[in-house]
Amino acid sequence: MKKRLVTIAMLGGLGLTAGISMAGGQDLFVQKCGACHQKGGQAAAVNPADKAGRVWKKYFKRGRHPVDLGIDDASLGEIIGYLVGHAADSDQPAAAVIPK
Amino acid sequence: MKKRLLLLPALLLLGTNTALGAAPDTVTIPMQDYKAILQELRALRDRVDQLEKKSPTGKQTAAAVPGSVKKDIDDIYDTLDEVETKTLRDKINFGAELRTRVDNFKVKNHTYFSTGTVAKKESNDNSWSNRFRLNMDAEIRKNLKFTGRLTMYKNFADSDTSDPGIIGDANYAHLQDNSNIKVDRAYVDWVPSGLPVPLAITFGRHPSSEGPPMEFKENRKRQSTYPSLLFDGEADGVVATIGLERYTGLANSGLRFAWGKSYQEDDDIEPYLDKPGGLDDSNVFAAFLESAIPGVDNSLMVFSALRVNDLVADFQGAIPGINSNDNANVGDMDLYGIHMQAAKVAGSSFDVFLSLGLNESHPNGKTISYGSAKMGLLNNDGESDHSGWAVYTGFRYTFDWPRLNHPKFGFEYNHGSDYWFSFTQGSAELYNKLAARGDAYDFYYIQPFNSNLFMRLGYTYIDYNYKMSGFHVGDMGGSNETLRDAYMLIDCRF
Repeated sequence: MKKRLVTIAMLGGLGLTAGISMAGGQDLFVQKCGACHQKGGQAAAVNPADKAGRVWKKYFKRGRHPVDLGIDDASLGEIIGYLVGHAADSDQPAAAVIPK
Repeated sequence: MKKRLLLLPALLLLGTNTALGAAPDTVTIPMQDYKAILQELRALRDRVDQLEKKSPTGKQTAAAVPGSVKKDIDDIYDTLDEVETKTLRDKINFGAELRTRVDNFKVKNHTYFSTGTVAKKESNDNSWSNRFRLNMDAEIRKNLKFTGRLTMYKNFADSDTSDPGIIGDANYAHLQDNSNIKVDRAYVDWVPSGLPVPLAITFGRHPSSEGPPMEFKENRKRQSTYPSLLFDGEADGVVATIGLERYTGLANSGLRFAWGKSYQEDDDIEPYLDKPGGLDDSNVFAAFLESAIPGVDNSLMVFSALRVNDLVADFQGAIPGINSNDNANVGDMDLYGIHMQAAKVAGSSFDVFLSLGLNESHPNGKTISYGSAKMGLLNNDGESDHSGWAVYTGFRYTFDWPRLNHPKFGFEYNHGSDYWFSFTQGSAELYNKLAARGDAYDFYYIQPFNSNLFMRLGYTYIDYNYKMSGFHVGDMGGSNETLRDAYMLIDCRF
């Protein structure tokens, strides 16, 4: 029983960590991208489910964002990870994190 | 590059000084030369500015290309993004089949059991049915594939529900019922990587119906892993396939181990629990060794062995006029089979097949009651064990008539002994032809119209020698029943 409880606690811990990481990506996305990409903002609202995961990766690899993002590499990596994890072809697409 | 370009004007200036041979602090040159040097410097600075706009990886930024080209490139990228996103979201490929069929039946001396002849009209001039199938597949990953099929199968203008004793888990999608959609098959093939032997795991609702050699008559590719004489029905289970080609050198050789349930007891109110005092589950264990026939192109041979434990007798009112709530596990059954087939034999236009089956019953002493009759596993006393056998053979000939799209003619014959039984409840044949305890003769003509549409005309005659073909219970003696069916169907697949 003790072993089981420890396992459950560990799994719970892992879940929590994953949750925090995911939430971190989402927070960064809303904070950094949502500053301009919002309804009535400087750019149209955007969400992870607007593109497939592979397409998001190519988008940033090709440097297609029209203006300088002003985001450090680590944060950008986390945002891309979040976009891919919730992209249109993912198992949990996010279509309304930033309302359209 | 930047360094070199900066050095260049400096050297130019130094060179000019030397050439002029003037004092080190003062240089005097003609205005025309001075302007030329300035112009050169301006051009070089612009060039340096342009090069500085290149990314550290050497990729040019959008700003480095003219505005109109940049806009075009952005448009192309946007379109590509949209198309690629849509493509990646289309995870499942769909296909469909629609079959409309009309049969003309004539049945003589039709009986269910020895308890008497059931009053039924013994002919049907035109029995119409529709069968619709939605086929699906998806390559989830390189080594992970999903396949599914949803089916609706009904008689014209008839949407009531068939008798639960006749229609069941093994044939929901293969008997005319109502306009509901049934899951005929839904399974995943997984080929784990990095294993010392080639292994494929298949789980879900299996491709276990319309197996070899039915693809000849159905005018399509092989539909099931199991020879149709032994197993033809819908089944849930798990199959492990070991590829043997690299060891035997025989094309398409493999060994399959299959497990499934032909009956699982549950409490229909709380479906995760068994009924108190309910029946035991009935498990199916099977092994299939298959390969191409050595030296024969386009061929297949399959050696099969099946064991079904704790077969259940429970007709739930399937027999009109006889009510029974009795049910029981009545024993075990073994099945063995050899199947061989070849298409375009020796370069000819003939496709041929031969299938043999053998069954052995192992009753456990239990019987169920139907009226005054008692029935056990292929017996009436619960004790007697029996064995049966069957042979199934035939051919298909393809005419070399390109103007008629190469029509085909086929003939099939099967014979089952008095105690022949196999698991063919999900047969695409309307009357479970391969279960016949007697002789069945089947002729057909396939007229293709194009690669998506064909018509089949057919005639089947069955002379039953023994009662209760297709049932694993009871021993009800000889039969003089006959069945004749002339039919026409049109089938569209895309």
